[in-house]
Amino acid sequence: MNEIPIILFTPLLAGVLAWLINVKGARELIGVIGAATPLALLAKLYSPIVSNPNNPLTYKLTVSGFNLTFKMGMLNWYFAVIASLVGLAMAFGMVSTSKNGYDWLFALISYTGVLGVFLSWDFISFFLLWELMTFASFMMVLKRNRHESLKYFVLSVIGAYAMLLAIALIYAKTGALDFDSIRQALYMDAMLGSISKGETALIFVLFLTAFGVKAGAWPLHVWAPGAYSETDQSYTAFFSGALSKAGVYGFLLLYILMGAKLYYALGTFHGHLTFAYIIAWIGAITVVVASFLAVLQEDIRKLFAYSSVGQVGYILLAFGLGTGLGFAGGLFHVLSHAVFKGLFWLVTAAIILQTGKTEFKDFGGLAEKMPFTFAMGLIAVLSLAGIPPMAGFASKWLIYEAAISAHMPLVAGAIFLGSALAFAYVVRFLYAVWFGQRPSDLEDVKEAPLPLLIAMAILAIPNIVFGIAPGLVTNYLNKALGGQIVGGNYYKLVTQTGTYNALTVALLLVVGLAIAGLIYIYGAKARKIPVTNTYQSGNPVTEEFNLSIRRNFYLPLKEALAFWLRYSFDRFYERIAQLSEDFADALREGFYNGNVQAYSWYLAVILLILALWGVL
Amino acid sequence: MISVYYFGAIALVLVGLYGVLVKKNLMKILISLSIMETGVNLLLISIGYVSGKSAPILSEGVKWNQAVDPIPQALVLTAIVIGVATTAMALSAAILIYEKYGTLNVEEIRRLRG
Repeated sequence: MNEIPIILFTPLLAGVLAWLINVKGARELIGVIGAATPLALLAKLYSPIVSNPNNPLTYKLTVSGFNLTFKMGMLNWYFAVIASLVGLAMAFGMVSTSKNGYDWLFALISYTGVLGVFLSWDFISFFLLWELMTFASFMMVLKRNRHESLKYFVLSVIGAYAMLLAIALIYAKTGALDFDSIRQALYMDAMLGSISKGETALIFVLFLTAFGVKAGAWPLHVWAPGAYSETDQSYTAFFSGALSKAGVYGFLLLYILMGAKLYYALGTFHGHLTFAYIIAWIGAITVVVASFLAVLQEDIRKLFAYSSVGQVGYILLAFGLGTGLGFAGGLFHVLSHAVFKGLFWLVTAAIILQTGKTEFKDFGGLAEKMPFTFAMGLIAVLSLAGIPPMAGFASKWLIYEAAISAHMPLVAGAIFLGSALAFAYVVRFLYAVWFGQRPSDLEDVKEAPLPLLIAMAILAIPNIVFGIAPGLVTNYLNKALGGQIVGGNYYKLVTQTGTYNALTVALLLVVGLAIAGLIYIYGAKARKIPVTNTYQSGNPVTEEFNLSIRRNFYLPLKEALAFWLRYSFDRFYERIAQLSEDFADALREGFYNGNVQAYSWYLAVILLILALWGVL
Repeated sequence: MISVYYFGAIALVLVGLYGVLVKKNLMKILISLSIMETGVNLLLISIGYVSGKSAPILSEGVKWNQAVDPIPQALVLTAIVIGVATTAMALSAAILIYEKYGTLNVEEIRRLRG
């Protein structure tokens, strides 16, 4: 019995069923079962996959003459299990936030698409499922915001064509579509060099565009903030947590399939692989740009959308280092980003569901009203900001170590800057939403509904478990990458340059918190003060410089960055769109003018040209 | 062999084309269309003609291999009939246009449209 088709198609089937039945209760039940099945089967496959890494589970499917191959090796399993974990959380979240079959249909279709991308082992199934995933996520955005969905669509189409061209080029050069043959052919060709340098670079750039769009890499990230915020927030947990990982997986595939060829064709630059160096810098720029933009947002959804773009930048950067440690760190961050960002979006979903507000200026003091959601939000904040003992710290620590040991100090600097900025924006989220004075219209806010809380718990537990025992992940990654890359045991990570003992840190943290708690209970004199006291020293301030944590908190930063903010790829693309629209308008008015005789002239001229072409 | 009829046919088509492209009066345009049509018919007929052969009609002393190809002639006969029908229809449309707009100038008809 082969599990792969069940894993792949259960969500799809469940989505269609949920859409057809569309009865409250049954719809949700089918959806959750459909989302849970892949995870259960993947969990069952854990030991056969780990004990037999060189003999992956294979499933072949012939559709109208095309052989679709699916394989589950250790890396595929890793990505698939992350996607299905987030998928299950998404399904639980959607029980609370989504009230129609349309959402369930497309959310579960994109779930199938993502799993398919991770498991497929030839370019036909890869491309088909990639498009399925894009289409379903586009439909999810389309329902709520046409403009943003079109932006997403246009960039996705550019990516899809780029990928199709690259696949066609590879097929023309090697005659193969399945990954094993392509890999072998390109490896041989690295020595023979029958594919020229220019062609290799072209394929590389095309793939970079295709995967960069999906991963939200700078400068193709512009769709992400709009699309992430203008859809069902529980679905965004999957969109940002798992679907963007398809792009990341693509970058990994680039290494697997054409790493050797790219190395021989493009050579090295300052002792680094040139192509990897490009990926690393794309990642670094993404981290810095997206983190700065995230800090300046006034809407929580936009903030986390930019932050998500930035965090995926970390993964690209880690892959771009091109060392084993870089891959380990990047892959670990794939897991931690999926769990903490998924958690963040579910927390956002809960907040928006219960309050109906999205901007910082409308929030405050929700911690007392939604204590469980607050606890989950706190875990996500700690994990994203990279504070031990959370999963986010372990993975970011590995990426730092990798950047330093790969001798790329500037890139390491970008990570550091990104981390500091991440702290700046999550602190704002933490304070502005949960603490401080509560606006009077939020007095009767209740705790989030149970399914949403279950969803949050599903993602919060891995954050803590893999934070305290990061060795669970690194041991698996060691096996998957084939070498002892990160040493240590379950609680301790050891690399060439450093050691991190998560258990000790966690214990110290608990002890420290206990001491602080004791001091707070027995020693501190707490008194309630208005927000204005802390931020304005009791003085009245003018309206345009009213920088409380809920309003324009980072205005000085914005003013300092004014020069750089003038340059925006977002506006650049809008401008190109405007220009082409104007051009098309001019053409339309000039040629399609409603004069029948003008059309006769066009016909006559074209016939003349064709006649001359035939004669000459 | 290039027959003189070819030049005649192409000249007719060009005359018609000139009328369609340049004349503003709808009636003149329709007349030009008819002229073009005649040119095309003439071209087909002259291509189908083989010198020294007789018409493709079974009669005394004419064997099948002495007759020209009947297909162009049959086609052109059909085309003439269709041409008459389309011209009649175009003319009736022109009458309707004239009733509605009070003019046959194609540019003015366009302006009245919007």
